[in-house]
Parts: sequence; structure tokens; C-alpha cells
Amino acid sequence: MSTRQLTLSSDTTRRRKSRLLGPAGVLSVLAAGAITLTACSSSSSSSTTPTTAAVKLSSLENWPTIPVSVTESGSTLLQPLFTSWANAIHTSWPTVTVQPGGGGSGQGFTNVASGISNIGGSDPYLSAAQLAQYPALQNIPLAISAQQVNYNVPNITPAGTHLKLNGKVLSAMYQGTITNWNDSQIAALNPGVHIPSLAIAPIHRGETSGDTFLFTSFLAAADPSGWGTKYPPNTTESWPNVPGSAAATGNGGMVTTCAATPGCVAYIGVSYLGQATTAGLAYAELQNKSGNYELPSATAISAEAAGFANSTPSSGAISMIYGPATDGYPIVNYEYAIVGKQPDAAHAQAVKAVLAWAIDPKGGNASKYLGQVNFVPLPTQVEQISLKLIAKIAS
Amino acid sequence: MTVTPTSERSRGPASSLMVGNAVGSSSGGPGSGDVQGSPDGWGSGGAGWEGSPPASRQRWWNFEQMLPRGLTVAVWIPLVAIVLLVVVLVVKAVPAIRFNGLHFFTSDAWDTGASYGSVVTTGGVRHFVGASYGVLPLVVGTLVSSAIAIALAVPIGIATALVIVEKLPMRVSSGVGFCLEVLAGVPSAVYGIWGVLTFGPWLAHHIDGPIARNMPDVPVLRWFRGAGPHDVVGQGQDLLTGGLILTIMILPIIAATTRDLLRQVPRATVEGATALGMTDAEAVNTVTLRWVRSGVIGASMLGLGRALGETIMVAMVGGALLGSSPHSIFGAFNTIAAVIVTQLEGALSDPTGLEVGTLAEIALVLLVISLAANVIARWLVQRGAGTALPVGRGI
Repeated sequence: MSTRQLTLSSDTTRRRKSRLLGPAGVLSVLAAGAITLTACSSSSSSSTTPTTAAVKLSSLENWPTIPVSVTESGSTLLQPLFTSWANAIHTSWPTVTVQPGGGGSGQGFTNVASGISNIGGSDPYLSAAQLAQYPALQNIPLAISAQQVNYNVPNITPAGTHLKLNGKVLSAMYQGTITNWNDSQIAALNPGVHIPSLAIAPIHRGETSGDTFLFTSFLAAADPSGWGTKYPPNTTESWPNVPGSAAATGNGGMVTTCAATPGCVAYIGVSYLGQATTAGLAYAELQNKSGNYELPSATAISAEAAGFANSTPSSGAISMIYGPATDGYPIVNYEYAIVGKQPDAAHAQAVKAVLAWAIDPKGGNASKYLGQVNFVPLPTQVEQISLKLIAKIAS
Repeated sequence: MTVTPTSERSRGPASSLMVGNAVGSSSGGPGSGDVQGSPDGWGSGGAGWEGSPPASRQRWWNFEQMLPRGLTVAVWIPLVAIVLLVVVLVVKAVPAIRFNGLHFFTSDAWDTGASYGSVVTTGGVRHFVGASYGVLPLVVGTLVSSAIAIALAVPIGIATALVIVEKLPMRVSSGVGFCLEVLAGVPSAVYGIWGVLTFGPWLAHHIDGPIARNMPDVPVLRWFRGAGPHDVVGQGQDLLTGGLILTIMILPIIAATTRDLLRQVPRATVEGATALGMTDAEAVNTVTLRWVRSGVIGASMLGLGRALGETIMVAMVGGALLGSSPHSIFGAFNTIAAVIVTQLEGALSDPTGLEVGTLAEIALVLLVISLAANVIARWLVQRGAGTALPVGRGI
């Protein structure tokens, strides 16, 4: 069995595909009593394969017929999505069990680097230094997420207004140089809106966080001479010691703390939009690089991502903060799967199938999954980049 | 007040509680003389029962031989554990110790550097550009929060114990005692969530403001003022909240131990003091408290140990301050233990390993602080024993 797996794993994808497509090949594998790869039947029966990328996807969505358990850990932003993906996958292909776990993006990286998990969920992409140390790791874009900027300011009139904020004002709030919501700099961005006098309470994440990296990247990009020179974007930030500021753990903690703190301003993953709104938090229109104010709507997020579709490198690693799209929302990011060398061929095959299905616009990238967490699907060009990265997964 | 005969030292209440029990259980246990003559009943399964007790004594599991061996192993376990712990921490910390230098103890910084930039090498240690760490604010946060807790919990704990033992009727005091024990068993995460959701905000909205605004701006008392010209007190994630919850957490340790110590004060001595015409307060002050003094110091140090090492509660209510020191008791803070738990996940994904090394280094600092607290405690106990009543020796 292990010999057979090693043989398979050393094959190139193309050779494996041809073997799989040939009934004789399938039969020979079956006869040999090794892992049986009935990819063609499963992908055709589930009819998840789009016509344009059909060859690629069908070559990768090979579901193992022996039971394989794939462990995932990492980003808590990605975890709810991975959970719904895992349920859908197990329903359609009972041999594959995906076990999603949280722990944060850093945990995802560490677990994959040390071989504890098969897939690591991550908001930030791999750094050059991380790749230098673990050359086998890849970051594969799975979907597009965004970050909302929330606030808890009662009695803004007219009711239902989304305050307009930009990076410079947010930078000043988090540095403690703008301390009240009725500050003239905020009023200048919001003509015709009455904002009551209320002390600003900037809330940040207390633990290491991919969201902190996104938000500080935005502050540094939008306020390069202020924030950018003092606080380099990082997952752990030495936040300015602003009186009235507070820390919270996790996106859920950010929602709870902000809801309990009148005057708060917070940065929260867009998958928590529903919870934040239910908790009474409003979310801001953010100024993008072109000067337009945008809400984190699916349209604006997609527009921003489309602006990066052609500049995304083949490694998939790119920061999509404060991009060039005129109608794009300024804080969006790829959610990544961090993947390394798999322990055996069966796991490599299963991980390929899971990830290929996940980015399939008719599979895991369908709105029925992404819509739950307010993510948007990958642009077609990026889907191709991800597929090429997935094809490289080996044992 | 006189020098005591050695023979009386061991009769002190503290020693009978803390040492006497351990000695009693081992000397009165199955290892004592009466087992000698009886046949061995420890799983011999019948074989050798009738025929030859001497034969069963020669077996490897013979109880009389195993007991000293087992005790020897038991004695070595804590010693080996502490040595291994320190060795592993030192090995992990060496690069950080070399990189951070002595500046580490005077610096406020906590900056992982530009993690998406290049890795450079200084003095043989790989690190990101701009990496800089300092432990000073964490030591301050650890010591001040624990000092608040000890300063409040010791008098309250002694008072609680006195009331339970001396004043309350038996039925009520057993109920109160039960509550103390329940309180001692509450997990710190429960205290944390209560502190961050209820207690902290309540303090901030109702208690902190008047204190912060009315405290005179003079040395020492300045620490009880708010921040900035408007005396901002924040959201209740501060030293005061952390210190008060730590007080509640260590109160049961001190109160329950003191209660047990007070119960062992001979009634005749106290009644003798009363017979001499002392009031209740005088009897407590001159007889009862002197009797238990060294034991209470020991209990307080146990409480201090818990406060110094408290992790999750501080991580939740401390405001996760990194990179600067708290400005007042209404300011956010952080402790060594809380930083280890909140930063480890991100540190593990630092490919230079410097942040993990720094966490190991601050862990060593925490060990040294705990050791110092223990040494001071022993010194205090000895000093306390020297000036107490003749019978008040212990530990």
C-alpha cells in the first residue's frame, strides 16, 4: 500500500490524470488493492465542474475512496466558512472528513510548518522570511474577505447614517490626537450629519491577529507620513497608549467590547457584519485611494479585488490594501490556505480535492457558502493561480 | 517574647497544619511498623500467601522495599522538573538574551519588527529590521497588580477569618466557609469574563470617574488620577480592575488558611487573655494574631504567587497594553504571564525565533520574581516567628 502511494505521489498531475481518466488505469489500481481514485465519477455526478476550467478542476477534484481525515486549523475568520465547507464535503463525499479548528492565523502557519495540520487557515500571506525557512509551504487564495470599521455612537442624525471615515482620521483616533466624535476633522468628512459629543474609545485586538495586520496596513497606507513612519504593519502592534482605549480577544470579543463601550471605534472582520449590526454597532464608509467612500458591500469588495486580479503574483502573496479601484472598498484580503508537504498520497489527494472544490465557483466559492460570511469569490484569474498552486501539493 | 526552647517550636499551629499533616500521613500510613509482620496483601493474587512470606518479600514489588524507592522518585520529581524547566527556558532564551541585552530591563518597547521585510543578523542572532523588546512595563504591571491584590486581600482575608472563627455562629460560619472554598475553585477565565463584561465597565462608569477627577495632582496620589487634561478613565480594562479581581481571587486562599490557623489557637490562652481584662480587640491583637502570624504570612505568599502568575484573567481585563507602561491605576496594563499567553501564537510564526526566545526570557524573569517572593516570604516567616509568642512558630 505504501509503495503504491509513493509511486502515485511521484507522478506528475498530468500523468495521474491520464491514468485516472483511463478505466483500465482505475481498474488496475483497484485490482492492486491500493487507494482507489474514482475522481471522474464523483466530480461528474456532483456536476460541480465549470466548463471553462473543467480540465483543471476535474483533475484536482479527485475524491479518495478510502477514508481520509484532513485537519484544518488557523484563522478564526475562515473557520466558520471551513466548517460549512467541511459539512458539505462530508455529505457529498463521505470518505473525506475535514476537521476545522481555530487557533488564529499564526497557529495555522505553525501547525502546517510542523506537520500537525494538513491545511492552515490564514488571513496574512506568508512572509519572505517564513518561506525562506519553510520553502515547501504555499499560500493558496481561497476567497476574498474584507474588514469593517465599526463604531458605537448613539444619536447620530439623520438616523441610519454610515459615518464617512478615512485612514488619516482613523490613524489620529488610534493615536489619541482626535479624542471626541464631534471633532471638526470628523465633521468635515460628514457634512450635514450631526455627531454628538462623545469620547472616542479605540478598541484593538489584544492577541496576535491577522485583522490587526490588515488594519495597520490600511492605516500605514492611508497615512504614510503619520502612522506609516511610527507603526509598521504587523500582526502584533505596540498600540499607542491612548487613554480610553481597550483591548479585546477575537472578532467576537471586538463586537462585545465595542457594544459595551459607547464611543468605541473597532476593526472587525466582515464575516461578523451580522453580529456587529445585531449588537447595535454601525459600520463606516471608508475612503479609498481614489477619494471615494465605500461600504464593505459585495460589489465594492469584488471591485477592489478585481483591481488586484492581474497583479496577483503566481505565489498568490499580495497585500490588497488601499488599492487602485475607483469604486473598491479599501481593506480587502485573500483568505489563504497554508499548505505544505502532505504525510502521504491519500492526504495529498484529499487536500487537493478539498481545496479545488473550495475555490470552485459552483462548489465552495458559491454564494451559498461565501454569502454566509460576506466573503466574495475569487476573480477568474486568481482562481487559475490557486489551481496551479493546488496542483503542486504533494506528499 | 522570650527565646523559646527548641522542643516547643514544632508545636506551633502553622507547622501542625502545613508540616504536621504530611508527616502524620506518611508515618501513620502503611509504611509503619505494623505492616512488617503481616503477610503482604498487595496484589500477590494468592501465590506465596500460605507458604512463604520471606519469598514474597524478595520480589521486586515487595512493599517495604518499594516504599523507599517510590519515595525517592517522588522526592526527585519536583527537583528534576524545575531543573528541566529552567534549562529549556534558558536554551530557548539564549538568542533573545544576547540580542536584547541589558537594555531589555529598562526598555518599554515591544516591537516584532517588519515581519514582511528581510531578516538581518546582529551579533549572530537573526531578527527582523526594527525588532526591539523590553520587559519593564510587564514587570511593573505584574508587580503593581499583585501589590494591589496583596494590600487588599491580606487585611480583608484576616478580617473574614476572624469573623468566621470568633463571631459567627457555627451554622453561618460553615456556610461562609463553604462559599470561600467555592470561590477558591472558580476558574480564572470566569473571573475574566465577569471582569471584562460587568465589573470593569461598572467601575469605569460609576467609581473611577469621581476618584480620578478629585484626586489631588501630587506625587503618589497622581497615580489615582485619570489620563490627560480631562482625566479619562477608560473602559475598566485597567490596573484597578485587574488588581481588584486578583484580590477576590487570592482572598479565599488567605481567608481559608487563616481560618484554619485561628481554629488551632488554644481557647484557654485566649480566655486567659480575656480573664486578664482584655477586650476582644486586645485579645485578638495580642494573642490570636500573634499566634497565627507566620502562618498568615505563608498563606499571603501563596496568594502572592497566584497573583504574580495569573494569566487568563489579566489577558482578558488588562487592556493588553504593549510597548508602554501604565500611566495610572486607571490605565491599561499587561503582565508577563498574560503576554506569554497572548503573544505565543504569533511568536511561533516568527521564523527568526526571536519573539519565542523573548517570551522564554520574560518567563525566566517571572521565575526570578516568583523565587524572590518566596525568599522574602521565608525571611518574613522566620522574622515573624522570632517576635511572636513562644508558641507561634511554624513553616
